[in-house]
Amino acid sequence: MLKTRTGILLLAPAIVLMVALLVLPVGYLIRFSFYLGQTGVQTSGGFTFANYVRLFGDGFYLAILWKTLWVSFVVTVVSAITGYPLAHFMWKAAKRWRAPFTILVLSPLLVSIVISSYGWIVILGNNGVVNQLLQFLGLTTAPVKLMYTNFAIVVGLVHIVTPFMVLSILAALEKIDPLLNEAAATLGANRFRTLWHIILPLALPGIGAGTTIVFCLAISAYVTPAVMGGSGPNFITTLIYHQFVTLFNWPFGATVAAVLLAVALTVVFLYVRVLSRLGAAAPAAR
Amino acid sequence: MTRLFHLLIGLLAAFILAPIVVVVVASFSARTVPEFPPSQWSFRWYEHALNQAIFVNSAVNSLWLAAVATLLATPLALAVAYAIVRGRFPGRDALQTFLLAPLIVPSIVIGLSILLALATLGVRDIGLRLVGAHVLITFPYLVRTIMASLVRLDPMIEEAARTLGAPPLRTFLSITLPLVRPGIIAGMLFAFIVSFDNVSLSLFLTNARTNTLPLAILSYLEFNFDPSIAAISTMLVVLSLTIAVVLERVVGLRKVVGA
Repeated sequence: MLKTRTGILLLAPAIVLMVALLVLPVGYLIRFSFYLGQTGVQTSGGFTFANYVRLFGDGFYLAILWKTLWVSFVVTVVSAITGYPLAHFMWKAAKRWRAPFTILVLSPLLVSIVISSYGWIVILGNNGVVNQLLQFLGLTTAPVKLMYTNFAIVVGLVHIVTPFMVLSILAALEKIDPLLNEAAATLGANRFRTLWHIILPLALPGIGAGTTIVFCLAISAYVTPAVMGGSGPNFITTLIYHQFVTLFNWPFGATVAAVLLAVALTVVFLYVRVLSRLGAAAPAAR
Repeated sequence: MTRLFHLLIGLLAAFILAPIVVVVVASFSARTVPEFPPSQWSFRWYEHALNQAIFVNSAVNSLWLAAVATLLATPLALAVAYAIVRGRFPGRDALQTFLLAPLIVPSIVIGLSILLALATLGVRDIGLRLVGAHVLITFPYLVRTIMASLVRLDPMIEEAARTLGAPPLRTFLSITLPLVRPGIIAGMLFAFIVSFDNVSLSLFLTNARTNTLPLAILSYLEFNFDPSIAAISTMLVVLSLTIAVVLERVVGLRKVVGA
C-alpha cells in the first residue's frame, strides 16, 4: 500500500494541471458570460444577464439550440438501434472475427473526423455515389439534395458515435451469464422471447451508458455540422465558433458555450441518478 | 433468421467503412474532382498534396504537438494511475471521476476556456497553449489504459520485492514499470492519435500561420474540393490503422479505448 504522502506527491502534478487548465478556465468562461462584449477579451459594463436574455429571447438562436437537441436526439436513437446488432454480433461471434470487427467498429474513432466528413461529401454530394446510383437505377432524374441537410448531419454523427455505443452495449452483454440463455431455451422460450425478455433488459445499463455518451458527443460535435450542415451557424458549436471567430463577441460566445456545458452536465447527472436508482432497485427485483 | 442478421451486420459494416473506403479509392482519381470509382487512375494528387507547404508544415506541427503532448502527459498519467490503483484514501472514486472530467466537458468548451484564460493572462505563444490543451485531453486516456494494466498486476509481486529489501522506488522501476510497459505504450499510441486528430480543441488555439493538419484540411475544404485531400487522408488512414492493428495485437484495442 502507498503511504499517504507518496500518494499526494503522485497526484499533485495532475491536479495542478487540471485546476490550471480546466477548472479555473471554465470557471472564468462562465464568469465572462455575464458581461457584455466589446471586442475579443474586452468587455463593457458590469455584471448582467443580458447575454442569456438575448440567447433565450431570440428565435434565431432558439431555433439553433432546438435543432441541436433534436438532431442529437435522433442520432442517439438511431445509433442505439444500429449499435445493438453490432454489439450483439461481436458478443456472439467466433473468435477469429473478433479482432477484425473490433478494428472495424472502432475505425470511425481512429480515423480523423475531417477525413470521414470528406468521405461523406463524396458519397452524399449532388454528383456523389448515392445520387449517381439513384440516377443509374432511374429512380430520379435530377440529383436529390442529401448533403448540407439535417439528414447529412445525422448520417455523419451516427458514424462517429458508433464505437462508443457499441462498446458500451458490448460491455453490458459480456456480463450476462451464458447459462441464462440455455435456461430460457430449456424452459421453451424461442430466440425472440429470450432476446426480448432476458437479454435486452440486461443490456439496458449498457444502452443507457451508450446513449448518455452519444448524446453528449453529438451536442458538442463541431466538424460534422460545420462541414456537412451547410454554411452559417446551424448547430450550437458552429454558433459558438461564429460568435468567437467571425463576430469577435467573446462574452456571447462564452454564454452559448456555458449553455452547452450545462446541457452536457445535466445529461450526465440525470444518467448517474437513474443508474443509482436502478442499482438500488435491483436487489429488490431479485 | 441468422442469414438475415448477418446481412444486417454486413450492411452496418459497409456503412462504417463507406466514407473511409471512398476516400482511399477517390485519392487515385486523375481528374480535378474526387470520383468513386475513378474514371482514370493516377498518383498526381499525392504529388500535389506533398508539394503544398500548408499541408507539409501543418503535418510537421501536428506530429510535434502529438509527440510532445504524449511525452508530457505520460509520466503525469502514470503517477496518477499508480496512486489510484495502489492507494487507499478517502475520496478516491470522486478523484477518479474528476481526473476523467476532460472526457465529459465538451472539448470545444475546454478549447474556448483555455483561449480565454490565456488571452486574459497575455499568453500569446501558440505552441505553449496547444501543448497545454493537448496534455489535458490526452491525459485521461493514458490514465485509463495504464490503470487497466496496473489493476491486472498482482500486488504480491511488488510486495515480494519489498520483502526482499528493495526500496519503493527501486521496486517501481525494476518490477512495476517493466510489467505495465505494454499498457503504457498502448496508452501513448492512442494518446498520439487523439492529439493528432483533434479539431475542436485546437480550433480556437491556432492561427492561420501555425496550424495543425486536421485544421489545415478543414480550411482547405472550405474553398477546394480536389482529391489532394483524399490523398492526404489516405496517408493518415494508413498511419492510424497501422497503429490500431499494433494496439489490437499487443494489448487489445478495447482496453485502450475503455468502455
